[in-house]
Amino acid sequence: MAEPAPTGPAADQTERASRQRGALSTLLNGGVSSLNALGSVWIFFLMILVNCDAFGRTLFNNPVEGVIEIIELSIVGIVFLQLADATRVGRLTRSDGLLNFTLRRARPVGRALGLLWETLSIVFMGIVLWGSVVLLIGSVRNDEYVGADGVFTFPEWPVKAVIVIGCAATFLQFCVFAVRYIREQPDSTQAVADAMPTQTSEI
Amino acid sequence: MTGVEIGIASVILIVLLIYAGLYITVALGLVSFVGVWILRGDVEIAMSLLSLSVAGTVSHEVFATVPLFALMGLIVSQAGLGKDVYDVANHMFYKVAGGLGIATVAANAVFASITGSSIASASVFTRISVPEMRRFGYTARFSVGVVAGSSVLGMLIPPSALLIIYAIVTEQSVGHMFLAGIIPGVLLAVAYSVAILLMAYVAPKFVGGGDVGPGDEDWRDLTIRDVVSKLMPIVVLVLVVLGGIYGGVVTPVEAGAAGSLAALIIALVKRKMTWRGLWEVLVETGHITATILFLIVAASMYSRMIGMAGLPTLFGEWLTGQGYQLAAIMVLYVILVILLGTIIDPASIILIVVPLFLSAIEGFGSSLVWFGIITVVAAEIGLLTPPLGIACFVIKSTLRDPTISLKDIFIGAFPFAVIMLLVLIVLIAYPYLSLALI
Repeated sequence: MAEPAPTGPAADQTERASRQRGALSTLLNGGVSSLNALGSVWIFFLMILVNCDAFGRTLFNNPVEGVIEIIELSIVGIVFLQLADATRVGRLTRSDGLLNFTLRRARPVGRALGLLWETLSIVFMGIVLWGSVVLLIGSVRNDEYVGADGVFTFPEWPVKAVIVIGCAATFLQFCVFAVRYIREQPDSTQAVADAMPTQTSEI
Repeated sequence: MTGVEIGIASVILIVLLIYAGLYITVALGLVSFVGVWILRGDVEIAMSLLSLSVAGTVSHEVFATVPLFALMGLIVSQAGLGKDVYDVANHMFYKVAGGLGIATVAANAVFASITGSSIASASVFTRISVPEMRRFGYTARFSVGVVAGSSVLGMLIPPSALLIIYAIVTEQSVGHMFLAGIIPGVLLAVAYSVAILLMAYVAPKFVGGGDVGPGDEDWRDLTIRDVVSKLMPIVVLVLVVLGGIYGGVVTPVEAGAAGSLAALIIALVKRKMTWRGLWEVLVETGHITATILFLIVAASMYSRMIGMAGLPTLFGEWLTGQGYQLAAIMVLYVILVILLGTIIDPASIILIVVPLFLSAIEGFGSSLVWFGIITVVAAEIGLLTPPLGIACFVIKSTLRDPTISLKDIFIGAFPFAVIMLLVLIVLIAYPYLSLALI
């Protein structure tokens, strides 16, 4: 989106904001994008795997061992690898009509409201993170696994670890948003997120 | 406070928080967490329920349908199949009054059978169909209205993300939900087309059109060969997806994977897929998957909470105890869903409202598959209505034309929202329409 460049003190402020934004979130952005990349590759792998199983079973009577278990683990893995990035680009579903209205018309109210929602999100992700750490510890201690004995088994802890990593990254992402509401002068929820242009291009 | 009161207070609080702009996932998850804590008086129970929801809810094979059908839809969008089917539809209908409008509806209906998202349909057809209709003298309002109205077919005609979500929430078969969506989807498309024809005669000023245009469109002189080559890929994809499910050869998960692979091959053959394009499609698929499935995680927490509060059972008993007939309850339900739909997206509505009504509907011995179709159509009306009609927003942001305001789009979409409501009434009155193919 090409916005007209502001001048004077406003320009200083925007520039300072983006510099601060860079310093604060470059590291997190890199991490979150890498998780996202891993998740994207995983989706492609999942698609190929299900095809191999389906064709193997119907054509050669030779299904892939443990495919159901792999699919189940993959879904959890994909969701939590992508969650932080979906959050980062502002894709988490919300009804931001009122919030954007106040950010435009009554900025202090809007910023307070935006900050409140990010804070609640931090609290929520904090609880989820805590709970998933407990699960991870449990799965390591008890040597939990999925699948049927002797046919196909896979330890639980790697996917539990992915959940913890994904939740931690999302938690930090909400913290970054909260800081932006405090330090910057956002005029919309899109200005807070690292918004990407909507794609699905049909040429 | 009794358990039920806590349940009711939680539901109201969730809706208020969503209206005020909190992320829907956080509103559902956090309020449910606190609700369980109060209900059981023990934070440990709330904690363990939450972590079980997070780790356990989406760990089921059927959830793989979400990324796989999203992937397929994004690949066919990139492959230009929307443009192909629109060319053929234009070729067939351009001589009829309102013909390009009818062509848009028809193309959307066909395109819907290979994608699962109204949002994708809206953005694809805003690009290919609005400029063409404007060039032929159709009014701006009518052009965008047709695109908005027909985009809802994307979520009704299978494959459909909303039908998948409903199937997951109510533990119905995804395959059955897909088959149930076919006749209602076709019915809605036919109703739109008839209405466009009527509008072209009754309100020509609203519709516009009639301008024959320059006459050099590539779709005007299509040979049979062109038509076949443009439609062939779509026929193949429909056969892979619906044929496989209908014939019982493959599961919905396998149909999604096979459909994605077939779409990818078609895109490669048509030279419409680059590495960069594939990467963008995969990233987008990931965002859609994470957003929808994390929402379902939070919603499962919510439905456990209201179950713990005894809300669905009591609500069901209360509704039937009032001596209401099923018809009256459905009227109430549809009004509630449409009202919520003005602010909340269809997927969230399904996740919030359906668990509340499920036991009442089951009490009447009604089919949950039929109830699902009613729910999806009612929730989708909200895509077209202000203040937050998502389809209209997508059109506005895709169009990037300052002369067409959001208000124009809402006005243009309004007749189509009314037709949806009429079709919805027919679908409620005749459950057979939804159940015939199962």
